[in-house]
Formats: sequence, C-alpha cells, structure tokens
Amino acid sequence: MAAPTPPTDAELDTYIKIRYALIGIDLSTLPEEDPAAPMDQARVMANARSTVRQEVQYSDYVPDQQAHAAVLYPAPFAVWTGEYKP
Amino acid sequence: MTVDLPQDSAGSPAPPASAPGAGSVRAGRPAPSSESSQPQDLAVDRRWFLSRMAAVWAAAGAGVAVGGTVLASPAMATGGGSGGGPSWAGAYARTIRRAALEDPTELTVSEAAAAFRRGKLRPVDLMEAYLDRLGRYEEIYKAFLWRPTNAQLLAAARRVRIDSRSTPLAGIVTAEKDNYYTKGIPTTAMSPVYAGFVPEYDSTVHARMKAAGAIMMGKAAMGPLASGRARLPDGTATTVNAWTPDDIRYSPSGSSGGTATAVAGRLSTSGTGTQTGGSITSPSQAQNLTGLKPTFGRASLYGIVPLTFTRDHPGPLARDAMDAAIMLQSFAGPDRNDPRTLGMPPVPNLVKAASVYTHGGKPKVRWATTVGYPPDFLTGANAEILPMRQSLLDALAKVGCRVKEIPYPADWDLLSGLSSTAGEATNMFLPFLRKDVSLFSDRLPGFLNGMFRSSDNYMKMLQARYQFLRLVLDQIFDKCDVFLTGTVFDGIGLPLIAFPYGMGVDTTTGLPVPRGTTLGAPPFGEERLLAVVAAYQAVTDHHLRRPPDPTPPAAAGARAFSAPYKVPSDYDATDET
Repeated sequence: MAAPTPPTDAELDTYIKIRYALIGIDLSTLPEEDPAAPMDQARVMANARSTVRQEVQYSDYVPDQQAHAAVLYPAPFAVWTGEYKP
Repeated sequence: MTVDLPQDSAGSPAPPASAPGAGSVRAGRPAPSSESSQPQDLAVDRRWFLSRMAAVWAAAGAGVAVGGTVLASPAMATGGGSGGGPSWAGAYARTIRRAALEDPTELTVSEAAAAFRRGKLRPVDLMEAYLDRLGRYEEIYKAFLWRPTNAQLLAAARRVRIDSRSTPLAGIVTAEKDNYYTKGIPTTAMSPVYAGFVPEYDSTVHARMKAAGAIMMGKAAMGPLASGRARLPDGTATTVNAWTPDDIRYSPSGSSGGTATAVAGRLSTSGTGTQTGGSITSPSQAQNLTGLKPTFGRASLYGIVPLTFTRDHPGPLARDAMDAAIMLQSFAGPDRNDPRTLGMPPVPNLVKAASVYTHGGKPKVRWATTVGYPPDFLTGANAEILPMRQSLLDALAKVGCRVKEIPYPADWDLLSGLSSTAGEATNMFLPFLRKDVSLFSDRLPGFLNGMFRSSDNYMKMLQARYQFLRLVLDQIFDKCDVFLTGTVFDGIGLPLIAFPYGMGVDTTTGLPVPRGTTLGAPPFGEERLLAVVAAYQAVTDHHLRRPPDPTPPAAAGARAFSAPYKVPSDYDATDET
C-alpha cells in the first residue's frame, strides 16, 4: 500500500491553528511577521510545523515490547500491601 | 530496537561482574588500605534506582506522588557512603591563601569559614568587601535582579555568631537563582510570566541555607524560565560573563548564569542554580566554577519554579569541590514537601568526600576509581581542547585514577536524543500560555510545542529514558566508576560535576576564556565525583584563577563592547535549561 502523501505547510497550519484554538491559545497578541520582535506568529508556526513533522519521526523508534521496568524482589506491590517490610 | 541485558533468575538485569548489585560490593580493585568505607554509589542497588526513576516518570503522567514508603531505597537499612549525615569537621580550610585574606572576596566558603572560626575575619568584614565590589561593578555585571539594601546586608552579617554550633555557611554570602521561592521577596524566574510574584514561603533549599547561616546577597539573574542566558523580554542581554566583563557578546551561559557571574565575579562566595538540561554545568564551565548537579531526588525541588516534573535538579555553583560539597550538604536530603526526595539513601558525608586524601604525602583519589572517557573525547577534540583533555587524563592518572576509553553502547545517540522535555514544559505552563503567549517572548515555541506530542510518543520518550538509563548503568558503569560526559545524564537523573581544566580563546571576541568539562556518575555518586575533582584540584590550579575586573563604568568608552546587545535569533539554548 502506498504511503499517504505528506501534508503541505498549509495543511499543517490548519491543523496547528485548530489545535491552538481547541486548547485556548491565542497567537494574535504577537505580530504577524516581525523579525525584530522577540517572537512573531510566522516563527511560531514554522517551529510548530517542524515539531509536528519531527514528532512523526518518533514513530521510527520501536521500543522492545518485552522491556519492563526493573522490579525489585520482593516486588513493590508486596511493600504496598504491607506483606513485605524492608 | 532492543537492548540486550544479562538476566538474573528473577528476570531483572543482573549486575555486571564488576558492578554492584543488591548489596554487593565491587571486587578486584581495593580501595586504599587506610580508607575502609566505600562511596555510596557502590552501596546503592542500581536496579532500585531504575525502578525508582520509572516510578517518577510514571507519576509524571499519572499525577500521583512518589512517596517514601512506596519505593524506599534498600540502602536505607544499612546506610552507605562514607559516614551518615552532615559532618562539618573537614569543611574548614587548614590553610588560607594570603591573597584571599587580603581580598576576602577571593575566599572560598571553606577558607572564609576557617577565617571566621580562627578570628582572622568577621562576617561583617566579608560583607563589606563584597558590597565594595558590588558598588563598583554590579552595574556592569548585572548578576542580580533583586538585592536587600546594603544596610540590611550589613545588619545580617553583624548578627552572625560564630561558635561551636555554627555551620561552615554561617556568615557566608550566597547568590540564589531567581527561580527559588523567597518569602516576601520577588521571585520572577526573570520572566514576565512571574512578574509581580512574591512567594509566601521559602523554597526548601533557601530555607535550609538560611538555617545554616548563609546570607543571601540577592536573587541572581537567569535565563527566562530557566533557559539560555539572562535577557530581557525583547532579547536584550543583561548579565555579562565575569571573564569578559567588557564584552557582553560572550555569553555567561545559562540558565544559572547570574549565579555563575556572581560567584566568578566575586560578588558572592557561592550560589545556587537549577538544571534541567545543562543549566548548572554549562555556566560553571563557562565561568571557571565547580558546579554539582546531584542525583534526581537528592535535593528538594519544593518552592522552585518548575520546568519539568521529572528532570529538574537544584544544585550549587561553587569555586571548588569542597565548596560544592558544603553547599549541597547543607540543603540535600528528604523533604516531606517533595515526595521525590523521600525514600532515598541518607545523604553521606560529602565534605569528607571532598577533603583532599593523601597517600605517601601526595594527593590521591579517595577511592579506587576508574575514569571512563568516550572515544570522541580525544579524537573529536579540536587543537585548542585536545591538549587540555590529555592533561586532564594525565592529572587524573597522577592522583591514582585508572583512565580508560569506554566505547559508546549501541543506540547511545538514538536513546539519549529521545529524552526531550517537550510536553512537560507545556503541561507546567498551560494556564499562562492561555493567558498571553507574548509573556514567553523568544522562548514561546519551546513551551507551546508540547501540545503536539501525542500520548504514544510521550510513552515512547519515557520508555527511551528508561532504556537509556539501563544502557548507561549496564554498559558504561560496568566498566568505569565515573564517565566524562555531558547533559545527556539530566534526563535520567544521574549526578554530574563540572569543573575547569584550562583556558581557551573565544572566537567572537578574541578574549581568553575558561574551559571546563563534566564528569558523570552512577546514582548517588556525588561522593565519588567530589573525591575525583578534589584530588584533581589538589594537583592543578585552574580553579584558583580569577577573572579580570571590569573597566569601571566611568571609563565605559574603553570597554570593547558595551552597546545594548540582543541575543541572536538563532541562539540555541538547547543545552542551557
């Protein structure tokens, strides 16, 4: 099966702005584009697009499904239940 | 991707042959005969630490507390380390440098405490010396955001009584990073997000330092919300590096940069910082200091403006290993207000660990120690750094360390790179982001982007951290006791110490600047780190160098670069959080 077409910048912008709107983030207090300003909307959007694309790359990491947190013997559960008192 | 580990019969990773498991003791390389105790990193079960950190990371997601009874350290039962609890016996310098007595701002904590105790100096004398420097140079250094009045500081110094119950911090002047809560005193983390915030209580660290007798010179400037160099919301840099006071372009580093400038510029004797990704070790390296980032949970984060739940650490920026030990000794240990500190092994005698140990009349490392270095430590060094690194290894060998190249385990880059802070900072600051994103200024993207992290990727990040910690414990610290590494240990809670090892030249300003390096250890390896650096500092003098004084404000025209300087838009604060 062919891989889906990667989204365009414009499609990502729509996604990002909807996410901001859903969570209650308003970028309008920033200038739209002003390189002299400490931050502007254009830079926020460019950074967000990069982050979203990078997030997808996390999928390339496949942890060992059998890996588990080291557990001391007796297990912490035995401490929680009071069965074992260190 | 998997990480293969030897398994013991219980299914947990078995400790390598030369590394400590549950209650085991390293064999094969005996400690010097006159030193029978072992450092705490050998007394603590590393599987317990893996389990503990996994619980902390899980708690970050679940919003539950990690308490003392849930995962109490097995070492609690028997103690560990070089002797339980604070003991200040070795904290007082046997000899005090003459130059330091002539200019008390030169004194280390250890020297000043000894001078107080022997009646050679009064706390008020020390304070007057600092206030004199502040009056002349703080306008240039801009190390502090807030200070008590001179009258208040002098009165505090006059109130100090030095007696047999005093700690070595009694009457010592400290700089505290502005993200530590201070009751009734503005605490802003140098960000508009916290503008006008005046805490109603002290952070645990600040309270403990006050109780130990330290006098806070002021709230130190810092990278806004603990990232990068100190700067105003419009990006204008404020604090200078104490080594280049006449040229603001060379960064003081961050985010604990104000503290570093205060300590290096002799506006305070020692200070506090926080580290999420290099914020203690990086400014320490940039300003010729010894900075100690302890094991996660060793010191309380209660009352410190958070950046993350899982990888923030408080720690000292000091002038040498002994001062770092005195500082951490004064504020480390369990705090019922921070469950991440509960159930830990007891704080060992860090001062003793940092005391210079001699064998045959020569300084030697206190415990038999193998110093590991990665393959690129020498091969990846440039022409300036390479001789420093070779000299460092030679000096470490001279004080009795075994020095050994350790290959990076497979997947080192992948696993260390996956341990980012994205998501956690968003979580902490979402209410402020909703209020007004412009409050975050140039740091905004770093705080916003966490909302694009999916839950499956966050889980992957936590799993990667776990795998990375396991990798480090089983494939690095099975071969050495300390490892020359960097900020990759922040995400997995392991202790780090930064210390100076030479001088270089900054390529932008052409000015001579200090160079430092960072040494990491397994869980609760603070004693080991202090012992190695104390021995190294006993045979070298890098830590004793002091920067030039600034050109006085009246002659500002003579300064190399004094115009308002904006941090470049491509400034990367990745390793300075």
